[in-house]
Amino acid sequence: MTRFFIDTWVQTVRHLLVIMRNPFIFLPNIMISLFFLFVYQGGLSSVANLPGFEGSYLAFILPVSIVSAAIGGSGGAGQSLVRDLENGYFSRLLLTPATRISIVLGPMIAGMIQLLVQTVLILIVALFLGLDSASGILGFVVVIALAAGFGLAFAGYSVGVSLRAKNAQASQAGTFIFFPLIFLSSTFVPLEFIEAEWLKWVATINPTTYIFEGMRAVLIEGWQWAPILQGLLAISIMCALTITFASMSARKALNRD
Amino acid sequence: MSAGTIEVYDLQKTFKGDVQALKGVSLSVGKGEFFAFLGPNGAGKSTTIQILTTLISPTSGRALVSGYDVLTQPEQVRLEIGVALQETGIDPALTGRELLEIQARHFGMSSVAAKKRAVELLEKINLTEDANRRCGNYSGGMRRRLDLALSLVHRPNILFLDEPTTGLDPVNRIAIWEEIRNLNQQLGTTIFLTTQYLEEADQLAERISIIDKGQIVISGTPKELKRRIGMDVIEMHFADEAAATRGAQLLAGLCKQHTQQREIVKCFVEDGTRRLPDFVRTLDAESLQIHSLNLAPPTLDDVFIQVTGKKEGTA
Ligand SMILES: Nc1ncnc2c1ncn2[C@@H]1O[C@H](COP(=O)(O)OP(=O)(O)OP(=O)(O)O)[C@@H](O)[C@H]1O
Ligand SMILES: [Mg+2]
Repeated sequence: MTRFFIDTWVQTVRHLLVIMRNPFIFLPNIMISLFFLFVYQGGLSSVANLPGFEGSYLAFILPVSIVSAAIGGSGGAGQSLVRDLENGYFSRLLLTPATRISIVLGPMIAGMIQLLVQTVLILIVALFLGLDSASGILGFVVVIALAAGFGLAFAGYSVGVSLRAKNAQASQAGTFIFFPLIFLSSTFVPLEFIEAEWLKWVATINPTTYIFEGMRAVLIEGWQWAPILQGLLAISIMCALTITFASMSARKALNRD
Repeated sequence: MSAGTIEVYDLQKTFKGDVQALKGVSLSVGKGEFFAFLGPNGAGKSTTIQILTTLISPTSGRALVSGYDVLTQPEQVRLEIGVALQETGIDPALTGRELLEIQARHFGMSSVAAKKRAVELLEKINLTEDANRRCGNYSGGMRRRLDLALSLVHRPNILFLDEPTTGLDPVNRIAIWEEIRNLNQQLGTTIFLTTQYLEEADQLAERISIIDKGQIVISGTPKELKRRIGMDVIEMHFADEAAATRGAQLLAGLCKQHTQQREIVKCFVEDGTRRLPDFVRTLDAESLQIHSLNLAPPTLDDVFIQVTGKKEGTA
């Protein structure tokens, strides 16, 4: 068991070093998140004046910015693995007695750490922009937890795709799922404001909607348990699916046929 | 004890798409032996190494490394072997020192011991000065040396090297040769080396197997292989290319096989000493001048061409 912890630790640290030495791994992602915050907050904030809209538009758009950061951070897990596969380092690791699962877990944990740092950073920026949480500091903890849960689910997906594709282009293509995930949802306006029936329907089955709604409830309305629990449920279902997918892919990739 | 030995029985490997990479390879390497696996592109050298190092499994057959079955005891095998694959396994964002330390940690060393081992190895491969540079910036030779060091971190009993000098300049090639010869002679490490270069096998190995199209075609010491070809080589330097071409025509009947490279003609004959006068007489009759003539035993190159029908290093 200690072997497992040491191996996982060593690999996590390596992936964190790689992330820190390649700013292009995290900078674009942070930029996109800040873009959501500044541009939409500046450009669409009049939506908040519509009748029936509660709270500030900043608190409304912040979850989009955070979920986008979460996807970038955890999607990096898969990219890191592809990088290892492509430069041959993955084989070098397989030739050591290192616990097999640590080799896959290392990049996932590093991705989660990247996600946490980015989420906290975005929250700080939002505070400077005048964010006011209806449920206080503890509310932020819930927002971070929802972001981490969503990130873990996405990390599972990205690792699974990468281990199957084994090349950068294909795994990059796989991350484009973030597009429908983020935008076919109550991204810019509340669910009840969406007019197109098809979009409303897609948004209702899109798990991201429940992450947005959970975060918004905490930030705008205070301790509303129903949306928070729905968010957690969406995360549990997604994690169950993607982590299973990731471990099946890992078994296949490590299978020595 | 079987530590340091390799036993392979009738190894077969068929890849998806029905590529038969190995068609029944058997071989045996003793403790401390320097073994070279020689063959042209696509012969099955890397496939054999990947099976013996637990990276892929054979379709059928059995392989024991230090007495452990590669299929059922891969963990034990990994502790016995050091491996430098054909493609180096290096993370370009890390420094040489970091990679060595990580490697040592995965082999169970404490972080203090890992640091110490990294320093030793960096010294040994002459990379101390570049230890803190990212290895993405290393030259090809430095990468190869680092890759070799990574395979040595845990002091393995057996070292697998897949074309360790391909693409290196002569200086780097000789540096690597020196290093692996030392490992073999001073530490008694068993070496399993693949190469497309006959010179490399000839220089280093005690025993050679030549593999072609997934099958071993001939095995033995370099001397035995050369003797087995059963011919001598008569080499003649003519005044110019035209004279050489003319000479080659005249001598064709006397040779089993001949080659011409500009003004040099090489002729394969049985029992060269007794045939030499015939050569001189034939050329003399046409008053063709030759600058030099000498009789030599065949090189491994000649063996290689004979058994695989290919020039070294060509597909
Ligand atoms: N993963 C794979 N899938 C399908 N075919 C493969 C795979 N790996 C190798 N082969 C095929 O198996 C045969 C043997 O390949 P191998 O890499 O063992 O040759 P090699 O002797 O190492 O050649 P080289 O000197 O070029 O490295 C080749 O025909 C190759 O195309
Ligand atoms: Mg090869």
